[in-house]
Amino acid sequence: MKVTLKIFRYNPETDKKPHYDRFVVEAEATDRILDLLESIKNYQDGTLSYRRSCAHGICGSDAMRINGVNRLACKALVKDVGNKVTVEPILGLPVEKDLIVDMEPFFDHYRSVMPYFVGGEENPKKEQMQSPEDRERFDDTTKCILCAACTTSCPSFWASGEYIGPSAMVNAHRFIFDSRDQAAAERLKILNDQYGVYRCHTIFNCTDACPREIQITKAIGELKKAIVTARLD
Amino acid sequence: MLAWILHRITGLGMIVFVSLHVISSFFTQEMGSDWAIAINTVYESIYFQFFIVFCVLYHGINGIRIIILDLWPRMLQYQKEMTWLQWLVFVPIYGLTIFIMIQKLITGG
Ligand code: SF4
Ligand code: FES
Repeated sequence: MKVTLKIFRYNPETDKKPHYDRFVVEAEATDRILDLLESIKNYQDGTLSYRRSCAHGICGSDAMRINGVNRLACKALVKDVGNKVTVEPILGLPVEKDLIVDMEPFFDHYRSVMPYFVGGEENPKKEQMQSPEDRERFDDTTKCILCAACTTSCPSFWASGEYIGPSAMVNAHRFIFDSRDQAAAERLKILNDQYGVYRCHTIFNCTDACPREIQITKAIGELKKAIVTARLD
Repeated sequence: MLAWILHRITGLGMIVFVSLHVISSFFTQEMGSDWAIAINTVYESIYFQFFIVFCVLYHGINGIRIIILDLWPRMLQYQKEMTWLQWLVFVPIYGLTIFIMIQKLITGG
């Protein structure tokens, strides 16, 4: 079948403002939107710019707005989005070129929550054990691939880029609820801020957008409760 | 996202129209000014009342849903079901209210 793509284009060196280009591509129903972008780049317009790496939904580099919804281009199939497809960069981050946005503000928020394991002793003699139940407690939030689909689907983040955003909170949750980790209180203090958990108004766009199907709003809800009750349960 | 947007709209609706009503009632009583009477006439029209009842009821019930989700984060996983439940509660109450309002209007009660 023929698929028509309307793609957001912007070249900071030549364009004053962005515009849209139309491309028609021959495709199978089971092709991914990423395949169509590759075909356009290879055979129609080599200047089309986007990020992709793994092409298998694991590196998180090709989040984009496909027919108005944040998705990974490598996971969105033609049969799921139809044969008229609009592709735009994710919202709320500055566009660098075409579908590529500046991810630095997003990663700044990520780094701000100490997204790494903080152990107890300096040089432990043996491994730290964890029961399967304790491991299960934060299993959902270990799945994040930092694609930014959640944060850039959030109206609170559109309103203010200072909002730490759902992704950073997912990654904070992953360590805060890890029974071996020692820095939960510190991380909760970071999140206990007007640009932290309180900007989440349970809109649920993040949960709908996440390609890993992480229960993001639930994770944020657990963080809110942990801050208010000063207890992890 | 719809619930969130409706929550803002109905909240604003209540603030703007209820305060407008209070202010215009004051001016109607004190000076009988024309614009104040005009605002009150709009406010008292049945369609406007439908709208205000919608604002109050939706805002209230949605607020209860949000409070439940805040208190029991576990329920956040069932937000779709919660939202359906919310409409299930809202529609009969709103429907009944509208029904009674129309009935009163017709019978002049
Ligand atoms: S939580 Fe989901 S949507 Fe957000 S960055 Fe991680 S994988 Fe992407
Ligand atoms: S290209 Fe790696 S997630 Fe899509």
